[in-house]
Amino acid sequence: MSKIYEQLRDVWDVMVMELSRVFHDGGVVILFIVGTLLYPLIFAFVYKNECVRELPIAVVDDSQSVESHRFAHKLDATPEVVVEFECCNIEEARTLMQQRLINGIVYFPKDYGTKVANMETARACLFCDMSSFLYYRSVLSSASAVLLDEMQYIESDRYGRAGMTGESASQMVQPIRIDDVKLYVPNGGFTSFLVPALFVLVLQQTLFLGMCVLYGTSRQERLVRKSIPTHLRQQGLLFRVSVGRALAYFLIYFPMSIINLIVLTRLFNLPHIGNPIHVILFIIPFLLAAIFFCMTVCSFVRHRDSGIVVFIFFSVILIFISGAIWPQSNMPKFWLFFSYIFPSTFGINGFIRINSMGATLDQVKFEYIMLWVQTVLYFFTASGALHILLRFRIGRNASEIV
Amino acid sequence: MAREKHNWFQRYLLSVQREVRQVVYHPRYILLLSIGVIFSYVFFLTLMDEGQPQKLPIAVVDQDGSFLSRRLCHELSATQGVEVVAVYDNHLQARDAMQRMRIFAFLEIPKGTYNEVLQFRRPTITIYSNNAYLLGGSFSYKNLATMTKLACGAVQREVLRKKGYSEKTIAGLIQPVELDTHPIANPTVNYQPYILTTILPGIIGLMVLMITIMMLHYWIKNPYERLRLCEGDLMASIWGKLLPYTVWFSIIGITGNLVLFGFCHYTLYGSFFVLSIAFVLFILSLQSMAVLLVGLLPDMHMSITIGAIYGTLSFTMSGFSYPASSMPGGMQLFGYIFPLRHYYLSYVNIALFDGTPQQIIFHITVLLLFLVASYLGIFLINRRFSYEGVWRKLIEDASSEKEEADMPLSQTSTTIEQSLL
Repeated sequence: MSKIYEQLRDVWDVMVMELSRVFHDGGVVILFIVGTLLYPLIFAFVYKNECVRELPIAVVDDSQSVESHRFAHKLDATPEVVVEFECCNIEEARTLMQQRLINGIVYFPKDYGTKVANMETARACLFCDMSSFLYYRSVLSSASAVLLDEMQYIESDRYGRAGMTGESASQMVQPIRIDDVKLYVPNGGFTSFLVPALFVLVLQQTLFLGMCVLYGTSRQERLVRKSIPTHLRQQGLLFRVSVGRALAYFLIYFPMSIINLIVLTRLFNLPHIGNPIHVILFIIPFLLAAIFFCMTVCSFVRHRDSGIVVFIFFSVILIFISGAIWPQSNMPKFWLFFSYIFPSTFGINGFIRINSMGATLDQVKFEYIMLWVQTVLYFFTASGALHILLRFRIGRNASEIV
Repeated sequence: MAREKHNWFQRYLLSVQREVRQVVYHPRYILLLSIGVIFSYVFFLTLMDEGQPQKLPIAVVDQDGSFLSRRLCHELSATQGVEVVAVYDNHLQARDAMQRMRIFAFLEIPKGTYNEVLQFRRPTITIYSNNAYLLGGSFSYKNLATMTKLACGAVQREVLRKKGYSEKTIAGLIQPVELDTHPIANPTVNYQPYILTTILPGIIGLMVLMITIMMLHYWIKNPYERLRLCEGDLMASIWGKLLPYTVWFSIIGITGNLVLFGFCHYTLYGSFFVLSIAFVLFILSLQSMAVLLVGLLPDMHMSITIGAIYGTLSFTMSGFSYPASSMPGGMQLFGYIFPLRHYYLSYVNIALFDGTPQQIIFHITVLLLFLVASYLGIFLINRRFSYEGVWRKLIEDASSEKEEADMPLSQTSTTIEQSLL
């Protein structure tokens, strides 16, 4: 019993020491607390408008028919685009596109109206700006919606001329009705899909960079031994040091992640259909895995700032490798397994599914178990790294004395 | 000083020589960063080598179990975009599979659909797609929508044939209007060119920014040796220090662009030369912003942290993924202080639209304007040096014995290198 008490006291000592180390370093506090809160605020603000709306397009109408005018008017009425220019020829529209004044061109050839009147297939052309995927998506979805509507309009007219009217015409126009339900993010917004993933990534990355600074400083200023209570600087007791430190980071990050993942998602009206208790239960292994992962990697950082300089670009890689953008099912197997190294992969997927898609903990079983596996694995590597670090320093000091 | 004076060019040259020597003897950081760049190129080029997601997993909820529903299933599997990985009996199973991320979308065919089709009672079939994963969800939706519309058309065609219409009339009845879509400069709607052409230069830029801030801070801690070398010319000592990195990262970036536009055949209507100029200016403008940050924030850790935030935000603010025109007004203006935004705009103009010379000159001028930031930064550093008495010490050193001025050269260089590593 006294042994357990002793162990707990050791852990407590390490935790208190680590917390004071964190709060005495301005740079770490900025990353841990200011960075963790600032990034989500900026992201939520930048992506506030969710969708790309009111894109300017040009219409080139060689046909000048009732049908082409109707098409253009309907386009103008969609939320995605505005017919800003009506050009005489395609060259003029091309120049406007080159000047980046428009994001799409709709062209009606001379025979458009005639073909509609002759009951043939009339053809219109759509040119899309591909400089951003969202331009393409908006222009295309608006044009397809109008096309569908226009097709049904002309079709029912044609069936009418062929002697089918009323219900029999609508039976012919649409023998099977197609309904579409966009689940979880009904407006197909960019914000609701990307920002939750970024929230999770921010947690891991600020933790990582902050710990780079913390571990780098202690190595740079030769304080690795000093940062551990005297009686714990032996091999077998380093597990207690790992646990104590992890507890310190956990105490800081647990409230931060609740603010980010539960409070801010509701405040900014991002998707939040998940059960908060499941989110909290999921956060725990994610944070622990991230903490031990960062403790392992940061042990190799030899200098206060070099960690940030060398690893910062990984933030960009991690969001792509997580599967939040490019589907996991379409990744090469190598990168899929490579992504399993990082807690953020499971954290992002699990969080999106619980929070945005209302999954239960059972439905994210794979991610949940993998995070615990990572926690255990990285706990041992973190302790091992600490052990190596201490031995390495002893050797260095000895050689310095000589 | 006893030595003969050098002109400005020679001063730059001396400073550059000094830096090159330092980098050659201690290449750790530049090697690490170069490996990072190569890793990023390999990563992004192999990660999305499909261009557009192919064979996305979807499911069909087939409550009908009829000839029609089976055929729809087979036809869906035969498309390139999606693959039916499961056929479920009810909606709940399919939604559970979606929440388990086994499928991106599913098609629900209710009981009696085929019968209702035959009786002209217009049954409804429903497409459910998962928009929480936007790319997988929208691509699989697109495929499902196309296939269901084709199924609809097939039914129409059968009925009209039975009624005795000619094939030509049928075509006109089923498809009165057609829309030819021409995605400019990316006909296959490949996801890669639109992401990689900005994100990879952005990663190089991020590294340049961070390493410049770090190098300058190390130098500011002990600037005497280099200032002496450049005869007190602050401009030469700073830019001389930065130029080797400009050259190195420009070479990497231009080679990278060669891979993207040459090897991978991404569209490039304009001239590669102009794009390369834009890239070099992009690197220079990031270095200028780094000088400004160092000038503004004397504390090294602070400026590295702020630099990291500024650098990572540039991906968001550049507007290549989420267009800047859709951001709130203030944020659009904020976006202009990120060189990556201007590089992205010049890339779009040069490569995708082959813009007019005026436009390209406009973007390049904006990138050049960033160089003014370095003047401001150097002004601030100069003021700090006067405040800290660096200049006074330099003059004192120069006026004392000549050997003393020469001797610490080797000494200070070793201390700088020690502090660097």
